[in-house]
Amino acid sequence: MEDHLQNLYEVLSKVEGYVYPNEIELNWSILIVLYPYITGLVAGAFILASLERIFKLRILKPTYGLALLTALAFMLVATMPLISHLGKPFRAYEIMITPHLSSAMAIFGFVYLWYLMVVLLLEIWFDYRRDMVIWANETKGFKRFLYKVLSLWTTDISPKAVALDNKLGYIVTVIGIPSAFLLHGYVGFIFGSIKANPWWSTVLMPVIFLFSAMVSGIALVMLIYILLTKIRKLSIDMACLDMIAKYLFYFLIIDFALEGLDQIHRIYEAEESFEALHKLVFGKLFFTLFFMQGLFGTILPLLTLGTFQFYKPKEQIRKRIYLVVASLILVGIFFMRWNVVIGGQLFSKSFYGYTSFKIGLIGAEGYLMASIWLIIPFIILAFLLWLLPPWKKIEVDHEI
Amino acid sequence: MPQQIKRLISVFAIFIALFLIMRQVLKPESFGELGHYRAKAIQENTMKELHYAGSDSCAKCHEDILKDKSLGFHKQLKCEVCHGPGLKHALFIDKVNTAQIPDSLVLYKPIQRKDCAICHQINAARIKIQFDTINTSMIHQINVLDHNLMDLDTKVEYKCIDCHNPHQP
Repeated sequence: MEDHLQNLYEVLSKVEGYVYPNEIELNWSILIVLYPYITGLVAGAFILASLERIFKLRILKPTYGLALLTALAFMLVATMPLISHLGKPFRAYEIMITPHLSSAMAIFGFVYLWYLMVVLLLEIWFDYRRDMVIWANETKGFKRFLYKVLSLWTTDISPKAVALDNKLGYIVTVIGIPSAFLLHGYVGFIFGSIKANPWWSTVLMPVIFLFSAMVSGIALVMLIYILLTKIRKLSIDMACLDMIAKYLFYFLIIDFALEGLDQIHRIYEAEESFEALHKLVFGKLFFTLFFMQGLFGTILPLLTLGTFQFYKPKEQIRKRIYLVVASLILVGIFFMRWNVVIGGQLFSKSFYGYTSFKIGLIGAEGYLMASIWLIIPFIILAFLLWLLPPWKKIEVDHEI
Repeated sequence: MPQQIKRLISVFAIFIALFLIMRQVLKPESFGELGHYRAKAIQENTMKELHYAGSDSCAKCHEDILKDKSLGFHKQLKCEVCHGPGLKHALFIDKVNTAQIPDSLVLYKPIQRKDCAICHQINAARIKIQFDTINTSMIHQINVLDHNLMDLDTKVEYKCIDCHNPHQP
Protein backbone atom coordinates (compact mmCIF):
# COMPACT_ATOMS: atom_id res chain seq x y z
CA MET A 1 0.00 0.00 0.00
CA GLU A 2 2.91 2.31 0.76
CA ASP A 3 4.08 2.11 -2.90
CA HIS A 4 0.64 2.78 -4.20
CA LEU A 5 0.18 5.86 -2.05
CA GLN A 6 3.77 6.97 -2.65
CA ASN A 7 3.05 7.12 -6.40
CA LEU A 8 -0.14 9.02 -5.79
CA TYR A 9 1.61 11.54 -3.55
CA GLU A 10 4.45 11.98 -6.04
CA VAL A 11 2.00 12.84 -8.77
CA LEU A 12 -0.04 15.10 -6.54
CA SER A 13 3.06 16.93 -5.28
CA LYS A 14 3.25 18.55 -8.75
CA VAL A 15 -0.18 19.96 -8.23
CA GLU A 16 -1.42 22.97 -6.31
CA GLY A 17 -5.09 23.15 -5.47
CA TYR A 18 -7.61 21.29 -7.59
CA VAL A 19 -6.86 20.15 -11.12
CA TYR A 20 -8.65 17.67 -13.34
CA PRO A 21 -6.82 14.32 -13.66
CA ASN A 22 -5.90 14.94 -17.31
CA GLU A 23 -4.28 18.26 -16.45
CA ILE A 24 -1.55 16.93 -14.15
CA GLU A 25 0.83 16.08 -17.01
CA LEU A 26 1.46 18.60 -19.78
CA ASN A 27 0.73 16.95 -23.09
CA TRP A 28 2.20 19.74 -25.20
CA SER A 29 5.80 20.16 -24.25
CA ILE A 30 8.89 21.93 -25.63
CA LEU A 31 8.48 20.46 -29.11
CA ILE A 32 5.12 22.20 -29.42
CA VAL A 33 6.86 25.40 -28.31
CA LEU A 34 9.33 24.96 -31.17
CA TYR A 35 6.62 24.47 -33.77
CA PRO A 36 5.23 28.02 -33.76
CA TYR A 37 8.75 29.35 -33.12
CA ILE A 38 10.32 27.76 -36.20
CA THR A 39 7.26 28.45 -38.39
CA GLY A 40 7.42 32.07 -37.26
CA LEU A 41 11.08 32.35 -38.23
CA VAL A 42 10.15 31.16 -41.73
CA ALA A 43 7.34 33.67 -42.15
CA GLY A 44 9.46 36.52 -40.76
CA ALA A 45 12.46 35.77 -42.96
CA PHE A 46 10.20 35.62 -46.01
CA ILE A 47 8.57 38.96 -45.18
CA LEU A 48 12.02 40.53 -44.95
CA ALA A 49 12.84 39.19 -48.41
CA SER A 50 9.58 40.52 -49.81
CA LEU A 51 10.28 43.98 -48.36
CA GLU A 52 13.13 44.14 -50.84
CA ARG A 53 11.25 42.64 -53.73
CA ILE A 54 7.72 43.96 -53.45
CA PHE A 55 8.16 47.10 -51.43
CA LYS A 56 11.25 48.01 -53.43
CA LEU A 57 13.60 48.55 -50.51
CA ARG A 58 16.69 48.11 -52.66
CA ILE A 59 18.90 48.87 -49.69
CA LEU A 60 18.01 45.42 -48.30
CA LYS A 61 19.45 43.69 -51.36
CA PRO A 62 22.39 42.07 -49.48
CA THR A 63 19.99 40.10 -47.31
CA TYR A 64 17.41 39.16 -49.96
CA GLY A 65 18.88 35.80 -50.98
CA LEU A 66 20.00 35.03 -47.44
CA ALA A 67 16.49 35.68 -46.10
CA LEU A 68 14.93 33.37 -48.68
CA LEU A 69 17.39 30.55 -48.01
CA THR A 70 16.95 30.99 -44.25
CA ALA A 71 13.20 30.73 -44.71
CA LEU A 72 13.64 27.54 -46.74
CA ALA A 73 16.09 25.96 -44.28
CA PHE A 74 13.71 26.50 -41.37
CA MET A 75 10.64 25.61 -43.42
CA LEU A 76 12.06 22.16 -44.16
CA VAL A 77 12.28 21.49 -40.43
CA ALA A 78 9.10 23.30 -39.34
CA THR A 79 6.95 20.19 -39.10
CA MET A 80 9.62 17.99 -37.53
CA PRO A 81 8.98 19.03 -33.90
CA LEU A 82 5.31 18.16 -34.44
CA ILE A 83 6.09 14.83 -36.04
CA SER A 84 8.63 13.82 -33.42
CA HIS A 85 6.11 14.75 -30.74
CA LEU A 86 3.68 12.15 -32.09
CA GLY A 87 3.46 8.77 -30.42
CA LYS A 88 3.36 7.17 -33.88
CA PRO A 89 5.40 9.51 -36.09
CA PHE A 90 5.24 7.22 -39.11
CA ARG A 91 1.51 7.76 -39.32
CA ALA A 92 1.98 11.53 -39.72
CA TYR A 93 1.34 11.39 -43.48
CA GLU A 94 -2.23 10.24 -42.78
CA ILE A 95 -3.46 13.78 -42.17
CA MET A 96 -2.58 14.47 -45.79
CA ILE A 97 -4.08 11.24 -47.10
CA THR A 98 -7.43 11.39 -45.32
CA PRO A 99 -7.78 15.02 -44.22
CA HIS A 100 -10.89 16.12 -42.40
CA LEU A 101 -12.06 19.66 -42.99
CA SER A 102 -12.95 20.10 -39.33
CA SER A 103 -9.36 19.33 -38.30
CA ALA A 104 -7.27 22.48 -38.00
CA MET A 105 -4.09 20.39 -37.98
CA ALA A 106 -5.00 18.50 -41.17
CA ILE A 107 -5.54 21.73 -43.04
CA PHE A 108 -2.22 23.01 -41.73
CA GLY A 109 -0.60 20.17 -43.71
CA PHE A 110 -1.93 21.74 -46.91
CA VAL A 111 -1.17 25.31 -45.87
CA TYR A 112 2.40 24.16 -45.20
CA LEU A 113 2.64 22.32 -48.52
CA TRP A 114 1.27 25.32 -50.42
CA TYR A 115 3.77 27.65 -48.80
CA LEU A 116 6.73 25.30 -49.36
CA MET A 117 5.94 24.24 -52.91
CA VAL A 118 4.16 27.17 -54.47
CA VAL A 119 5.82 30.04 -52.63
CA LEU A 120 9.28 29.35 -51.28
CA LEU A 121 10.62 26.76 -53.69
CA LEU A 122 9.16 28.51 -56.72
CA GLU A 123 10.47 31.92 -55.74
CA ILE A 124 13.94 30.57 -55.04
CA TRP A 125 13.84 28.58 -58.27
CA PHE A 126 12.92 31.57 -60.40
CA ASP A 127 15.49 33.65 -58.61
CA TYR A 128 18.33 31.16 -59.05
CA ARG A 129 17.47 29.46 -62.32
CA ARG A 130 19.80 31.48 -64.52
CA ASP A 131 22.63 31.17 -62.00
CA MET A 132 22.11 27.42 -61.69
CA VAL A 133 22.34 27.06 -65.46
CA ILE A 134 25.58 29.06 -65.48
CA TRP A 135 27.01 27.23 -62.45
CA ALA A 136 26.15 23.88 -64.06
CA ASN A 137 28.43 24.83 -66.94
CA GLU A 138 31.19 26.09 -64.68
CA THR A 139 31.34 23.18 -62.22
CA LYS A 140 32.09 19.49 -62.57
CA GLY A 141 31.05 16.19 -61.09
CA PHE A 142 28.28 15.87 -58.55
CA LYS A 143 27.77 19.58 -58.06
CA ARG A 144 27.24 20.01 -61.79
CA PHE A 145 24.70 17.18 -61.75
CA LEU A 146 22.96 18.77 -58.78
CA TYR A 147 22.65 22.13 -60.55
CA LYS A 148 21.31 20.42 -63.65
CA VAL A 149 18.66 18.57 -61.66
CA LEU A 150 17.74 21.65 -59.66
CA SER A 151 17.41 23.79 -62.77
CA LEU A 152 15.23 20.98 -64.23
CA TRP A 153 17.68 20.66 -67.15
CA THR A 154 16.67 24.07 -68.47
CA THR A 155 19.27 25.85 -70.59
CA ASP A 156 17.57 29.01 -71.77
CA ILE A 157 19.22 32.03 -70.17
CA SER A 158 18.41 34.56 -72.85
CA PRO A 159 17.45 38.01 -71.55
CA LYS A 160 13.86 37.24 -72.48
CA ALA A 161 13.81 34.05 -70.41
CA VAL A 162 15.48 35.78 -67.47
CA ALA A 163 12.96 38.61 -67.67
CA LEU A 164 10.19 36.03 -67.55
CA ASP A 165 11.81 34.39 -64.49
CA ASN A 166 11.94 37.78 -62.86
CA LYS A 167 8.32 38.56 -63.62
CA LEU A 168 7.05 35.19 -62.45
CA GLY A 169 9.22 35.43 -59.32
CA TYR A 170 7.58 38.75 -58.60
CA ILE A 171 4.10 37.25 -58.97
CA VAL A 172 5.05 34.38 -56.68
CA THR A 173 6.28 36.88 -54.07
CA VAL A 174 3.03 38.80 -54.32
CA ILE A 175 1.15 35.55 -53.69
CA GLY A 176 3.77 34.72 -51.07
CA ILE A 177 3.00 37.62 -48.74
CA PRO A 178 -0.61 36.63 -48.01
CA SER A 179 0.62 33.03 -47.92
CA ALA A 180 3.23 33.87 -45.28
CA PHE A 181 0.51 35.68 -43.34
CA LEU A 182 -1.72 32.65 -43.76
CA LEU A 183 0.99 30.23 -42.66
CA HIS A 184 1.78 31.92 -39.42
CA GLY A 185 -1.65 33.39 -38.83
CA TYR A 186 -2.82 29.81 -39.09
CA VAL A 187 -0.49 28.67 -36.32
CA GLY A 188 -1.95 31.42 -34.16
CA PHE A 189 -5.43 30.37 -35.23
CA ILE A 190 -4.80 26.81 -34.02
CA PHE A 191 -4.12 28.15 -30.53
CA GLY A 192 -6.59 31.04 -30.65
CA SER A 193 -9.47 28.79 -31.60
CA ILE A 194 -9.21 26.56 -28.54
CA LYS A 195 -12.15 28.12 -26.78
CA ALA A 196 -11.86 26.04 -23.62
CA ASN A 197 -8.56 27.74 -22.80
CA PRO A 198 -8.91 31.39 -21.80
CA TRP A 199 -5.11 31.95 -22.08
CA TRP A 200 -5.26 31.04 -25.78
CA SER A 201 -8.76 31.80 -26.91
CA THR A 202 -8.54 35.31 -28.34
CA VAL A 203 -9.15 36.53 -31.87
CA LEU A 204 -5.97 38.57 -31.57
CA MET A 205 -3.89 35.40 -31.37
CA PRO A 206 -3.29 34.96 -35.15
CA VAL A 207 -2.28 38.63 -35.48
CA ILE A 208 -0.02 38.49 -32.44
CA PHE A 209 1.62 35.33 -33.75
CA LEU A 210 2.05 36.94 -37.13
CA PHE A 211 3.80 40.05 -35.89
CA SER A 212 5.95 38.19 -33.42
CA ALA A 213 6.86 35.92 -36.35
CA MET A 214 7.97 38.88 -38.42
CA VAL A 215 10.01 40.21 -35.51
CA SER A 216 11.74 36.89 -34.88
CA GLY A 217 12.38 36.15 -38.57
CA ILE A 218 13.87 39.57 -39.23
CA ALA A 219 16.02 39.28 -36.09
CA LEU A 220 17.23 35.86 -37.24
CA VAL A 221 18.27 37.08 -40.69
CA MET A 222 19.96 40.08 -39.08
CA LEU A 223 21.90 37.80 -36.75
CA ILE A 224 22.90 35.40 -39.54
CA TYR A 225 23.89 38.32 -41.79
CA ILE A 226 26.18 39.81 -39.14
CA LEU A 227 27.76 36.44 -38.31
CA LEU A 228 28.11 35.44 -41.95
CA THR A 229 29.96 38.61 -42.96
CA LYS A 230 32.21 38.09 -39.94
CA ILE A 231 32.91 34.47 -40.94
CA ARG A 232 33.52 35.48 -44.57
CA LYS A 233 35.70 38.36 -43.33
CA LEU A 234 33.81 40.93 -45.34
CA SER A 235 32.79 44.41 -44.38
CA ILE A 236 29.15 44.64 -43.49
CA ASP A 237 26.71 46.86 -45.37
CA MET A 238 25.74 49.17 -42.51
CA ALA A 239 23.02 50.96 -44.49
CA CYS A 240 21.32 47.62 -45.04
CA LEU A 241 21.75 46.62 -41.41
CA ASP A 242 20.36 49.96 -40.21
CA MET A 243 17.35 49.52 -42.48
CA ILE A 244 16.71 46.00 -41.15
CA ALA A 245 16.98 47.38 -37.62
CA LYS A 246 14.50 50.11 -38.52
CA TYR A 247 11.92 47.62 -39.76
CA LEU A 248 12.64 45.37 -36.79
CA PHE A 249 11.86 48.36 -34.59
CA TYR A 250 8.59 49.09 -36.40
CA PHE A 251 7.38 45.50 -36.25
CA LEU A 252 8.47 45.21 -32.63
CA ILE A 253 6.35 48.26 -31.75
CA ILE A 254 3.31 46.72 -33.45
CA ASP A 255 3.96 43.36 -31.79
CA PHE A 256 4.38 44.96 -28.38
CA ALA A 257 1.26 47.07 -28.85
CA LEU A 258 -0.82 44.06 -29.90
CA GLU A 259 0.34 41.93 -27.01
CA GLY A 260 -0.21 44.81 -24.64
CA LEU A 261 -3.69 45.30 -26.08
CA ASP A 262 -4.46 41.63 -25.58
CA GLN A 263 -3.43 41.80 -21.92
CA ILE A 264 -5.19 45.11 -21.25
CA HIS A 265 -8.33 43.71 -22.81
CA ARG A 266 -8.05 40.63 -20.62
CA ILE A 267 -7.48 42.73 -17.49
CA TYR A 268 -10.37 45.09 -18.24
CA GLU A 269 -12.80 42.30 -19.15
CA ALA A 270 -11.76 40.37 -16.03
CA GLU A 271 -13.75 37.30 -16.94
CA GLU A 272 -14.21 34.40 -14.54
CA SER A 273 -10.82 33.02 -15.59
CA PHE A 274 -9.04 36.24 -14.66
CA GLU A 275 -8.12 35.36 -11.06
CA ALA A 276 -6.56 32.10 -12.18
CA LEU A 277 -4.62 33.77 -15.00
CA HIS A 278 -3.52 36.59 -12.71
CA LYS A 279 -1.99 34.08 -10.33
CA LEU A 280 -0.41 32.22 -13.23
CA VAL A 281 1.23 35.33 -14.63
CA PHE A 282 2.58 36.47 -11.26
CA GLY A 283 3.47 32.93 -10.22
CA LYS A 284 4.67 30.24 -12.55
CA LEU A 285 5.12 32.49 -15.58
CA PHE A 286 6.63 35.46 -13.74
CA PHE A 287 10.23 34.92 -14.82
CA THR A 288 9.61 33.80 -18.40
CA LEU A 289 6.94 36.43 -19.07
CA PHE A 290 8.19 39.55 -17.33
CA PHE A 291 11.93 39.01 -17.63
CA MET A 292 12.67 36.77 -20.61
CA GLN A 293 9.85 37.88 -22.89
CA GLY A 294 9.06 41.33 -21.55
CA LEU A 295 12.26 42.94 -20.33
CA PHE A 296 15.00 41.15 -22.32
CA GLY A 297 12.98 40.17 -25.38
CA THR A 298 10.94 43.34 -25.88
CA ILE A 299 11.66 46.40 -23.72
CA LEU A 300 15.47 46.39 -24.00
CA PRO A 301 15.49 45.82 -27.79
CA LEU A 302 12.73 48.43 -28.20
CA LEU A 303 14.65 51.04 -26.21
CA THR A 304 17.92 50.28 -28.00
CA LEU A 305 16.49 50.24 -31.52
CA GLY A 306 14.36 53.29 -30.68
CA THR A 307 17.42 55.23 -29.51
CA PHE A 308 19.25 54.30 -32.73
CA GLN A 309 16.56 56.00 -34.76
CA PHE A 310 17.84 59.41 -33.68
CA TYR A 311 21.26 58.70 -32.21
CA LYS A 312 23.64 56.38 -34.00
CA PRO A 313 26.87 55.34 -32.26
CA LYS A 314 29.94 54.24 -34.23
CA GLU A 315 29.55 51.41 -36.71
CA GLN A 316 31.56 48.88 -34.72
CA ILE A 317 29.53 49.50 -31.57
CA ARG A 318 26.27 49.57 -33.49
CA LYS A 319 27.05 46.24 -35.17
CA ARG A 320 27.75 44.58 -31.83
CA ILE A 321 24.64 46.02 -30.29
CA TYR A 322 22.58 44.81 -33.25
CA LEU A 323 24.02 41.35 -32.67
CA VAL A 324 22.99 41.43 -29.01
CA VAL A 325 19.57 42.91 -29.79
CA ALA A 326 18.83 40.28 -32.46
CA SER A 327 19.84 37.50 -30.03
CA LEU A 328 17.71 39.01 -27.26
CA ILE A 329 14.70 39.23 -29.56
CA LEU A 330 15.15 35.63 -30.68
CA VAL A 331 15.27 34.48 -27.05
CA GLY A 332 12.33 36.76 -26.18
CA ILE A 333 10.11 35.38 -28.95
CA PHE A 334 11.06 31.84 -27.97
CA PHE A 335 9.80 32.60 -24.48
CA MET A 336 6.69 34.23 -25.92
CA ARG A 337 5.88 30.86 -27.55
CA TRP A 338 6.84 29.14 -24.30
CA ASN A 339 4.50 31.35 -22.27
CA VAL A 340 1.64 30.68 -24.66
CA VAL A 341 2.09 26.92 -25.07
CA ILE A 342 3.31 25.94 -21.61
CA GLY A 343 1.45 28.71 -19.76
CA GLY A 344 -1.84 27.62 -21.27
CA GLN A 345 -1.47 24.18 -19.72
CA LEU A 346 -0.22 25.13 -16.27
CA PHE A 347 -3.57 26.17 -14.86
CA SER A 348 -6.62 23.99 -14.40
CA LYS A 349 -9.64 24.72 -16.55
CA SER A 350 -11.59 24.50 -13.29
CA PHE A 351 -9.63 27.69 -12.36
CA TYR A 352 -8.98 26.15 -8.93
CA GLY A 353 -5.45 24.87 -9.29
CA TYR A 354 -2.13 24.64 -11.08
CA THR A 355 0.20 21.93 -12.19
CA SER A 356 3.93 22.26 -12.84
CA PHE A 357 6.22 21.50 -15.73
CA LYS A 358 9.66 20.03 -15.56
CA ILE A 359 11.67 19.32 -18.66
CA GLY A 360 14.41 16.71 -18.86
CA LEU A 361 17.65 16.70 -20.81
CA ILE A 362 17.12 13.49 -22.70
CA GLY A 363 14.06 11.70 -24.00
CA ALA A 364 11.70 12.39 -26.86
CA GLU A 365 10.56 15.67 -25.31
CA GLY A 366 13.81 16.80 -23.70
CA TYR A 367 16.21 19.70 -24.23
CA LEU A 368 18.47 17.58 -26.43
CA MET A 369 15.73 16.69 -28.88
CA ALA A 370 14.61 20.32 -29.00
CA SER A 371 18.14 21.57 -29.63
CA ILE A 372 18.54 19.05 -32.45
CA TRP A 373 15.53 20.57 -34.24
CA LEU A 374 16.98 24.03 -33.68
CA ILE A 375 20.46 23.14 -34.95
CA ILE A 376 19.44 21.17 -38.05
CA PRO A 377 18.03 24.25 -39.89
CA PHE A 378 21.43 25.94 -39.53
CA ILE A 379 23.13 22.88 -41.04
CA ILE A 380 20.61 22.94 -43.90
CA LEU A 381 21.23 26.66 -44.31
CA ALA A 382 25.00 26.09 -44.47
CA PHE A 383 24.42 23.52 -47.20
CA LEU A 384 22.08 25.85 -49.10
CA LEU A 385 24.59 28.69 -48.85
CA TRP A 386 27.27 26.37 -50.24
CA LEU A 387 25.02 25.23 -53.05
CA LEU A 388 23.30 28.52 -53.85
CA PRO A 389 25.57 31.30 -52.55
CA PRO A 390 23.64 34.57 -52.88
CA TRP A 391 26.93 36.51 -53.11
CA LYS A 392 27.92 34.64 -56.28
CA LYS A 393 24.69 35.42 -58.04
CA ILE A 394 24.64 37.71 -60.99
CA GLU A 395 22.96 40.84 -59.78
CA VAL A 396 19.48 41.14 -61.14
CA ASP A 397 17.57 44.29 -60.63
CA HIS A 398 14.18 43.27 -59.38
CA GLU A 399 12.59 46.25 -61.09
CA ILE A 400 10.04 45.00 -63.55
CA MET B 1 5.60 28.00 -74.23
CA PRO B 2 8.89 29.01 -72.60
CA GLN B 3 11.18 26.14 -71.63
CA GLN B 4 11.16 26.78 -67.89
CA ILE B 5 7.36 26.89 -67.74
CA LYS B 6 7.09 23.55 -69.53
CA ARG B 7 9.52 21.95 -67.10
CA LEU B 8 7.78 23.41 -64.08
CA ILE B 9 4.37 22.28 -65.24
CA SER B 10 5.73 18.77 -65.81
CA VAL B 11 7.30 18.67 -62.34
CA PHE B 12 4.12 19.88 -60.67
CA ALA B 13 2.03 17.46 -62.75
CA ILE B 14 4.31 14.58 -61.71
CA PHE B 15 4.13 15.69 -58.08
CA ILE B 16 0.33 15.95 -58.07
CA ALA B 17 -0.02 12.63 -59.93
CA LEU B 18 2.35 10.96 -57.43
CA PHE B 19 0.37 12.44 -54.57
CA LEU B 20 -2.89 11.13 -55.97
CA ILE B 21 -1.39 7.68 -56.59
CA MET B 22 0.15 7.60 -53.10
CA ARG B 23 -3.20 8.66 -51.71
CA GLN B 24 -4.89 5.71 -53.34
CA VAL B 25 -2.16 3.33 -52.22
CA LEU B 26 -1.88 4.60 -48.67
CA LYS B 27 -5.54 5.28 -47.98
CA PRO B 28 -6.64 2.61 -45.52
CA GLU B 29 -8.91 -0.04 -46.95
CA SER B 30 -12.63 0.57 -46.29
CA PHE B 31 -11.97 4.25 -45.46
CA GLY B 32 -14.97 6.47 -46.23
CA GLU B 33 -17.48 3.66 -46.76
CA LEU B 34 -19.59 4.69 -43.78
CA GLY B 35 -18.10 8.03 -42.81
CA HIS B 36 -14.77 9.70 -42.26
CA TYR B 37 -13.17 6.59 -40.79
CA ARG B 38 -12.33 3.00 -41.64
CA ALA B 39 -15.53 0.95 -41.82
CA LYS B 40 -13.51 -2.11 -40.87
CA ALA B 41 -12.55 -0.48 -37.58
CA ILE B 42 -16.00 -1.42 -36.29
CA GLN B 43 -15.50 -5.04 -37.30
CA GLU B 44 -12.01 -5.07 -35.78
CA ASN B 45 -13.37 -3.80 -32.50
CA THR B 46 -16.05 -6.46 -32.35
CA MET B 47 -13.34 -9.08 -32.87
CA LYS B 48 -11.40 -8.00 -29.81
CA GLU B 49 -11.13 -10.56 -27.06
CA LEU B 50 -13.74 -10.10 -24.34
CA HIS B 51 -12.71 -10.14 -20.69
CA TYR B 52 -15.74 -9.04 -18.72
CA ALA B 53 -18.82 -11.17 -18.12
CA GLY B 54 -21.17 -8.57 -16.60
CA SER B 55 -23.09 -8.67 -13.32
CA ASP B 56 -25.90 -10.77 -14.75
CA SER B 57 -23.50 -13.69 -15.12
CA CYS B 58 -22.46 -13.33 -11.48
CA ALA B 59 -26.09 -13.39 -10.38
CA LYS B 60 -26.49 -16.93 -11.66
CA CYS B 61 -24.48 -18.36 -8.72
CA HIS B 62 -23.98 -15.43 -6.31
CA GLU B 63 -27.50 -14.10 -6.07
CA ASP B 64 -27.33 -13.75 -2.26
CA ILE B 65 -24.31 -11.43 -2.48
CA LEU B 66 -25.92 -9.29 -5.17
CA LYS B 67 -28.98 -8.99 -2.97
CA ASP B 68 -26.83 -7.83 -0.03
CA LYS B 69 -25.06 -5.38 -2.29
CA SER B 70 -28.27 -3.89 -3.65
CA LEU B 71 -29.09 -2.59 -0.18
CA GLY B 72 -25.81 -0.77 0.48
CA PHE B 73 -23.70 2.12 -0.77
CA HIS B 74 -21.99 -0.15 -3.28
CA LYS B 75 -25.21 -1.00 -5.06
CA GLN B 76 -24.15 0.86 -8.21
CA LEU B 77 -20.76 -0.80 -8.31
CA LYS B 78 -20.38 -3.72 -10.70
CA CYS B 79 -18.83 -6.93 -9.30
CA GLU B 80 -15.91 -6.93 -11.74
CA VAL B 81 -14.80 -3.44 -10.70
CA CYS B 82 -13.36 -4.94 -7.50
CA HIS B 83 -12.95 -8.60 -8.44
CA GLY B 84 -11.48 -8.13 -11.88
CA PRO B 85 -12.60 -9.46 -15.26
CA GLY B 86 -14.55 -12.69 -14.88
CA LEU B 87 -15.53 -13.92 -18.32
CA LYS B 88 -13.29 -17.02 -18.20
CA HIS B 89 -14.56 -17.74 -14.70
CA ALA B 90 -18.20 -17.51 -15.84
CA LEU B 91 -17.66 -19.50 -19.05
CA PHE B 92 -15.97 -22.29 -17.12
CA ILE B 93 -18.99 -22.62 -14.88
CA ASP B 94 -21.34 -22.52 -17.87
CA LYS B 95 -19.43 -25.26 -19.70
CA VAL B 96 -18.27 -27.55 -16.94
CA ASN B 97 -21.13 -26.91 -14.59
CA THR B 98 -19.24 -27.65 -11.40
CA ALA B 99 -18.32 -25.69 -8.34
CA GLN B 100 -14.70 -26.98 -8.54
CA ILE B 101 -13.05 -24.03 -10.22
CA PRO B 102 -9.30 -24.29 -10.96
CA ASP B 103 -7.11 -21.88 -8.97
CA SER B 104 -6.20 -19.90 -12.08
CA LEU B 105 -9.83 -18.97 -12.64
CA VAL B 106 -10.63 -17.97 -9.07
CA LEU B 107 -11.32 -14.24 -9.05
CA TYR B 108 -9.38 -11.72 -6.97
CA LYS B 109 -10.64 -10.98 -3.47
CA PRO B 110 -9.76 -7.41 -2.57
CA ILE B 111 -9.29 -7.76 1.16
CA GLN B 112 -6.26 -5.52 1.77
CA ARG B 113 -6.35 -1.90 2.95
CA LYS B 114 -4.76 -0.80 -0.35
CA ASP B 115 -7.69 -2.24 -2.30
CA CYS B 116 -10.20 0.04 -0.60
CA ALA B 117 -7.76 2.96 -0.82
CA ILE B 118 -8.01 2.93 -4.61
CA CYS B 119 -11.37 4.68 -4.27
CA HIS B 120 -11.55 5.77 -0.67
CA GLN B 121 -8.17 7.39 -0.01
CA ILE B 122 -8.73 11.10 0.52
CA ASN B 123 -7.88 13.06 -2.62
CA ALA B 124 -8.69 16.66 -3.49
CA ALA B 125 -9.46 15.70 -7.08
CA ARG B 126 -12.34 13.43 -6.06
CA ILE B 127 -15.97 14.36 -5.59
CA LYS B 128 -16.28 16.61 -2.58
CA ILE B 129 -18.09 15.38 0.51
CA GLN B 130 -20.78 17.57 1.92
CA PHE B 131 -20.75 18.11 5.66
CA ASP B 132 -22.44 15.29 7.55
CA THR B 133 -24.51 14.11 4.64
CA ILE B 134 -23.40 11.16 2.65
CA ASN B 135 -25.41 10.07 -0.29
CA THR B 136 -24.68 7.23 -2.66
CA SER B 137 -23.49 9.46 -5.49
CA MET B 138 -20.44 10.43 -3.45
CA ILE B 139 -17.39 8.40 -2.65
CA HIS B 140 -16.68 8.39 1.05
CA GLN B 141 -13.10 9.47 1.67
CA ILE B 142 -10.83 8.66 4.58
CA ASN B 143 -7.11 8.78 5.18
CA VAL B 144 -6.14 5.13 4.88
CA LEU B 145 -2.78 5.77 6.54
CA ASP B 146 -4.50 7.08 9.63
CA HIS B 147 -7.96 5.60 9.94
CA ASN B 148 -8.01 2.76 12.54
CA LEU B 149 -4.61 1.61 11.36
CA MET B 150 -3.84 -1.14 13.86
CA ASP B 151 -4.71 -2.74 17.11
CA LEU B 152 -2.88 -0.60 19.66
CA ASP B 153 -2.12 -3.59 21.91
CA THR B 154 -1.09 -6.26 19.42
CA LYS B 155 0.19 -3.84 16.70
CA VAL B 156 -1.55 -5.97 14.08
CA GLU B 157 -2.78 -3.97 11.10
CA TYR B 158 -6.54 -3.85 10.74
CA LYS B 159 -8.12 -4.62 7.45
CA CYS B 160 -11.02 -2.46 6.32
CA ILE B 161 -13.18 -5.55 6.01
CA ASP B 162 -12.67 -6.32 9.71
CA CYS B 163 -15.29 -3.64 10.39
CA HIS B 164 -16.95 -3.00 7.02
CA ASN B 165 -18.73 -5.60 4.93
CA PRO B 166 -17.51 -4.73 1.43
CA HIS B 167 -20.78 -5.79 -0.11
CA GLN B 168 -22.75 -3.64 2.29
CA PRO B 169 -20.37 -1.15 3.87
